[in-house]
Amino acid sequence: MAASGKVTVVLKAVKNITVQFCPFESNVGSTRMFLSVMSSHKVRATNLNCEVISTVKHDRTEPVVEITYLDGDKLMLKGAKLNCSEMLSSFQSMCAAKELQAKLAAAKK
Amino acid sequence: MAATLCRILLPKQGWLPFTQCVRHGSKAVTRHKRPLHFLKQKLMSVTRYIPPPRPAPPGAYPRQTIRDQEDDPFTLLVKKNLKSVFQESKMVAVVQNSGSTADEMMLLKYKLHKHGITVKFFPNQVVRSFLKDSTYSNMAPLFIGHTVLFISKEPKVKEMLSSLRTSRHMLLLGACIDNTLLSAQGVVSYSKLPSVAVVQGELVSGLTLLTSQTAAMLQRHPAQLSALLQQHVKQQSSEGAPKAQEAT
Repeated sequence: MAASGKVTVVLKAVKNITVQFCPFESNVGSTRMFLSVMSSHKVRATNLNCEVISTVKHDRTEPVVEITYLDGDKLMLKGAKLNCSEMLSSFQSMCAAKELQAKLAAAKK
Repeated sequence: MAATLCRILLPKQGWLPFTQCVRHGSKAVTRHKRPLHFLKQKLMSVTRYIPPPRPAPPGAYPRQTIRDQEDDPFTLLVKKNLKSVFQESKMVAVVQNSGSTADEMMLLKYKLHKHGITVKFFPNQVVRSFLKDSTYSNMAPLFIGHTVLFISKEPKVKEMLSSLRTSRHMLLLGACIDNTLLSAQGVVSYSKLPSVAVVQGELVSGLTLLTSQTAAMLQRHPAQLSALLQQHVKQQSSEGAPKAQEAT
């Protein structure tokens, strides 16, 4: 069910994750899987301050995942046409880039 | 070293000799493939290794459509269970469980059991195939991922919503209350509805409002009633005159 096998997701640079979806639509599977991966214990344990807020709507809108980082950047994933693994890989690449930036900033200091 | 095969002239075509000279054939170890003895050749051909056919690489061909298979006994049992659940209970709520621990689950089950709500788990595939054949087919898209069913005979929505509000991991997707499919917002608005008795009272009072007013008026003193009627006639005539003037 979880798309990430051995690669764990690290939420160190994430402030909060907002997930909105309409459960009666047929394109919601990947978003729901992404939400279950993000809400699992291992992932939550990497950053206890990160909140995962999920909203259930019923207005035929597309499922959207909005991730807010600690430095104010936002990543929006529109899950209607995306696979769960694609969403996870893009999220992880963004997180890795943020961590690199943070390391560089810490090294400069 | 002479390695000549004895050749015998065949008088007719297709005529095999009685004896074949193999004595002056090649040695045991040769650079070319030595012709095997016929019996050995037969044995080798019979016992030849035929490797199993290698399957096509994944993704080479499109997937075959899964033919309808008969359900195994466990599936049938679960479907029977589901059928009884849907028949007996008035409220069936579908909740997504995203990573709650066993302790949290136990606490939630305990809280809900106090109000008569049972928590049940069913495999998604079985539920989907059951719903496909029943009248609740529109609930099928709700059953993706880790889902939990909250079942109760009486629709106790307020208690369920309060216990779900306290748990962080449970997310209400939808519910089937009194054979009506409701979304999450629908469930919330259902919980805010007044009870049946209150609504019936309101309806009855609204319908009998006018008749009660006329009854009250008729029960008054006749002088008061006649004065009221005269005033009403005056108002009617005064309204009718400006209307006639506007028409002309």
